[in-house]
Amino acid sequence: MPVLSVRDLRIGYRSGGRLVEAVRGVDFDLYPNEALALVGESGSGKSTLGLGLLRLLPRTGQITGGEVRYRAPGGDQVEATDYDVLSLEGTRLRRFRWSEAAMVFQGAMNAFNPVLRIGEQFADTMRAHAPEGRLGREDIRERAGDCLRSVRLEPGQVLGSYPHELSGGMRQRALIALAMVLEPRVLILDEPTTALDLLTQRAIVDMLQELRAERGFAMIFISHDLALASELADRVATMYAGRIIESGTADDLFREPRHPYTAGLIGAVPTVHGGALEPVSIPGAPPDLARLPAGCSFASRCSYAVDECRTTDPGLLMVTDRPAGETSHEAACLRWEAVRMPAMALQDEEAGK
Amino acid sequence: MSTTASGVEAAAKPEAPAGLARRIWHNYVLRRVLRSLFVIWVVTTAMFFMLRLLPGNPVDTFIAQQIRGGSTYESAAATAANLFTFDPETPLIQQYFDYLWALLHGDLGNSLDPGTTVMEQIAASLPWTIFSVGYALLIAIGLGLLLGLVMAYRRGGFLDHSISMVGSTLHAIPNYLFAIIVVVFGGVQLGLFNVSETRGTHTAGVEPGFNFTFIADAFYHASIPVTVYVLTTFGTWALVMKASTITTLEEDYVTVARARGLSGRRIGTQYVGRNAVLPMVAQIATQGGFVFGSAIFVELILKYDGVSAELYAAVNDRDYATVQGILLIMTIVIVFANLLAEIVNSMLDPRIRESESGAVG
Ligand SMILES: Nc1ncnc2c1ncn2[C@@H]1O[C@H](COP(=O)(O)OP(=O)(O)OP(=O)(O)O)[C@@H](O)[C@H]1O
Ligand SMILES: [Mg+2]
Repeated sequence: MPVLSVRDLRIGYRSGGRLVEAVRGVDFDLYPNEALALVGESGSGKSTLGLGLLRLLPRTGQITGGEVRYRAPGGDQVEATDYDVLSLEGTRLRRFRWSEAAMVFQGAMNAFNPVLRIGEQFADTMRAHAPEGRLGREDIRERAGDCLRSVRLEPGQVLGSYPHELSGGMRQRALIALAMVLEPRVLILDEPTTALDLLTQRAIVDMLQELRAERGFAMIFISHDLALASELADRVATMYAGRIIESGTADDLFREPRHPYTAGLIGAVPTVHGGALEPVSIPGAPPDLARLPAGCSFASRCSYAVDECRTTDPGLLMVTDRPAGETSHEAACLRWEAVRMPAMALQDEEAGK
Repeated sequence: MSTTASGVEAAAKPEAPAGLARRIWHNYVLRRVLRSLFVIWVVTTAMFFMLRLLPGNPVDTFIAQQIRGGSTYESAAATAANLFTFDPETPLIQQYFDYLWALLHGDLGNSLDPGTTVMEQIAASLPWTIFSVGYALLIAIGLGLLLGLVMAYRRGGFLDHSISMVGSTLHAIPNYLFAIIVVVFGGVQLGLFNVSETRGTHTAGVEPGFNFTFIADAFYHASIPVTVYVLTTFGTWALVMKASTITTLEEDYVTVARARGLSGRRIGTQYVGRNAVLPMVAQIATQGGFVFGSAIFVELILKYDGVSAELYAAVNDRDYATVQGILLIMTIVIVFANLLAEIVNSMLDPRIRESESGAVG
């Protein structure tokens, strides 16, 4: 049973009196202990989706429809939970955040309050979720220290520091530690490593893998780096213009993409060419969300597009024989059977000559 | 920079005076205190020399007046020396050091009022001004910050619009003008308060001391000037705080704090409020100094016997020693208000402390 089931989620931003949809009907299931990667070009709506799941949109943002069902199994002491996050209000919403689902933000070098010590920010987070707000100092130190050690930080040093006294990499680790301190069942990471150098990036990705194995949380990893995503994730979903246009296991998507856009993204992964990194990019630019074309929104950039593509929006189609669920593979493309990886397409061409 | 040899030599020496001086320099608070003292010294020195050296300076003017009035130069100079507490025969530089020395002992010279020192006059009047202005600033700033915060949270709402309008209108009126309006309309025409009763700093018969009657009476008499200061300044604080709060609300750490499920109150105070106030502290200090300076007119109009009445009388009587003393003390008060603001700022913002102490490592 998925821990998070998202159905037809729609999110818009008000601008100039109009509501422009940045997430246009997204469906996905996130299973316990699963790592789902959301990939896509800049502006495809990944962050908007992530923020929407926690109901943290900026003032101009608004969820216009859909459902985000959160489920947790019951135990001896606790009742099973099953509710729509979009219907939560007040204290219930406040408590859902971070204790059930935590989020590490995009480029969040500024994620800690500059005037409070890291230790105080662990403490206030834990107190906000403790019954009646009471929690002993020792308890706090112990649990915070535990999480910090698991991201390979020295609690004695970090807890007493102000954010500006830590390096960017340390701050990001501290934030990940803070995200785990309440043992949430869902962890959303929005490009957690973009602002960091390659070595630190690698260290954090490795660390995330370990943490997930150790602590067992479900993870949504947002990235525009498909290679990184497929390495970290069990399943990958590609977003384009506010929709998921392909989703499947990391293997399926990386080896046999069934949407030309995903295939293009794989091609856009920088490859060493003549000693220099040279990305093969997808021609054209994403469509203006305020003026979306009829039919498939990728058609204008697509080399496979036929006339039908410009009039019909296919929706996600099953492209595998496997049953729906954790291992299904779906793509929103009428011509999915014809789609080839750029490299394969090149080979085909050469063979044909 | 230096040769290896001298570098080694320097390192070999124990960390004597130079090390201590460096440590003091790197201590944020000490450094500010030293700077404030320096500013006060500069102002003192400038005043001293202006009073004696500039053409048409008060000493020369006074002597010339006396001569015109029929006295000889000698007797005029003697009176002047007595008045300004200096001896024209001693060299200027010696006078200057004597003056500083006296100042360090709290001796600002004698007033024209026979038998009173300048210090006594200031001690009798300045506390009232500091009390009324300080009390008003506390209320105005507290109110302004709170309103600004609420306005930013509910921007576009009724409160936001009405306070913006009222605040900017009141801000546009100079406070002495506003004082006149308050007296004429509020006191005389509408009879909202008793103009003659609230005159002065306290009622004649009430004995100053630490008792309820006196304290209540002092607050009662201060209420009109305090109202004037508060009404003319709180709107500015509110508008500045609103702008600062809106900027702070956009910060990542505020979104993260919401994501962390912190209570609205905790986020409002420790995450938004505290960070929004930071850029305002310096502004509060300068604006506070400005209110203090302009209190002179308000006090005169409202007949509140603070330092302004004293200053006004001294200017009329050409009591230069008193004028000089009052200006000097007011400077010191403003400089220390700024110092206080900087210290508060460093307490609120850990980055300020560190950036200075760790700058040279
Ligand atoms: N605060 C906002 N107000 C109005 N429009 C917004 C706002 N934030 C995002 N958008 C719009 O929503 C769309 C999706 O933005 P989003 O930030 O979710 O993309 P993203 O996939 O996370 O991109 P990136 O890879 O650059 O982070 C974009 O067209 C963007 O212009
Ligand atoms: Mg983003």
